[in-house]
Amino acid sequence: MHRSRGFSLVETLVALAILAIVITTTIAMFAERTRRLREANETILAFQALSNEAEYWRREPFTEIDKPDNQTFKSDLTILTPMAPYTTEVKVDAPRSDVRNVTLTIHWAKREAHLGIARANTGGSGLW
Amino acid sequence: MRRRARGYTMLEISITLAIFGVFLFIIVTMTAEMRRNEKKWPINFFAHPEVGSVLARMRRDIYDSTSRPENFETYSSSPLTLIVYTINNDGTAETVVWDFTTPGEAHRKAFKATLLSSEWMARGLPLFIATTKAMPSGQEAIRIQAVDTEKKLAIDELIVPRPHA
Repeated sequence: MHRSRGFSLVETLVALAILAIVITTTIAMFAERTRRLREANETILAFQALSNEAEYWRREPFTEIDKPDNQTFKSDLTILTPMAPYTTEVKVDAPRSDVRNVTLTIHWAKREAHLGIARANTGGSGLW
Repeated sequence: MRRRARGYTMLEISITLAIFGVFLFIIVTMTAEMRRNEKKWPINFFAHPEVGSVLARMRRDIYDSTSRPENFETYSSSPLTLIVYTINNDGTAETVVWDFTTPGEAHRKAFKATLLSSEWMARGLPLFIATTKAMPSGQEAIRIQAVDTEKKLAIDELIVPRPHA
C-alpha cells in the first residue's frame, strides 16, 4: 500500500528559499524606493535653505564678502530640522579682484548640497 | 504491517518557523523604520505635487510685483491672505490675491482693475502663511511658510521682489 507522505525537509527548505528570494527582492525594492524618496525630500528642503541663504548673500555688501567671520549662514535654518545633524559652509573664491564666487554648502548624512552665486563689484549700486 | 502516516518532526517545524520568524522580524523592523522616517518628514513633496505648483506661481507673482496693497476689494492683507500688484508677461498689470483661509486649500485670484480675470486653486495642501521679512539690505522679502497638520515646517522660502525701474 502506498504510504501517505508529507513534504520532506529538503522540499520545505527549497520552497522557503524561493519565498525568501521573492520577499527579499520585494523588501529591497521597497527600501530603495523609501530611501530615494527620503533623499529627494532632503534635497528639496536643502535647496529651500540654500535659496533663502543666497538671497542674503546676493545683498551682502561686496566689501563684506571676504571677511572670514562673515562667512557663515545668515538665514533661518529651521526647515533643515529633519536633516539634523547637519553642517553649513560658505566658501568664497576670488577669480578676479572685482568678482567673488560664493559657494553655499549644506552637509548632512554623508550627502551635500551646493549653491553658488557670483557677485560682481558694482560700486555699491545694489545690482547683483 | 501497515506503516503509520507520518507528519513533520519537531525539528522540521522548528526550522521552518525559525526561518519564517526571521523574515517576519525583518519585515516588522523595516516597516517600523519606515513609519519612523515618514513621521520625521513634514510632507512627501512627490505625493503632493500641488505644493510645488503653488510655490512656482507665488514665486512668479512676487518676483514681478511692484507693490503689496494692504487692502483690495473685500480682501485685507494678513498671514493667510497675500495681495500683490504684479506685472504680467505682456506688460499689463494685475492684482493677485492669494487666499489661504480655507484649510488645505490655496486660491489664487487675479484681477485686472477690479474685474476677476483668472482664478486657480489647489487642494490637499499644508497650511500656507505669507509674512514679510526685512532683509539686511533694507529690501522687504515675502516669507512663504507652510506647516503640515503636525505643525512641522514643510516650506520656508524667502522671495524678494525684483527691482523695477
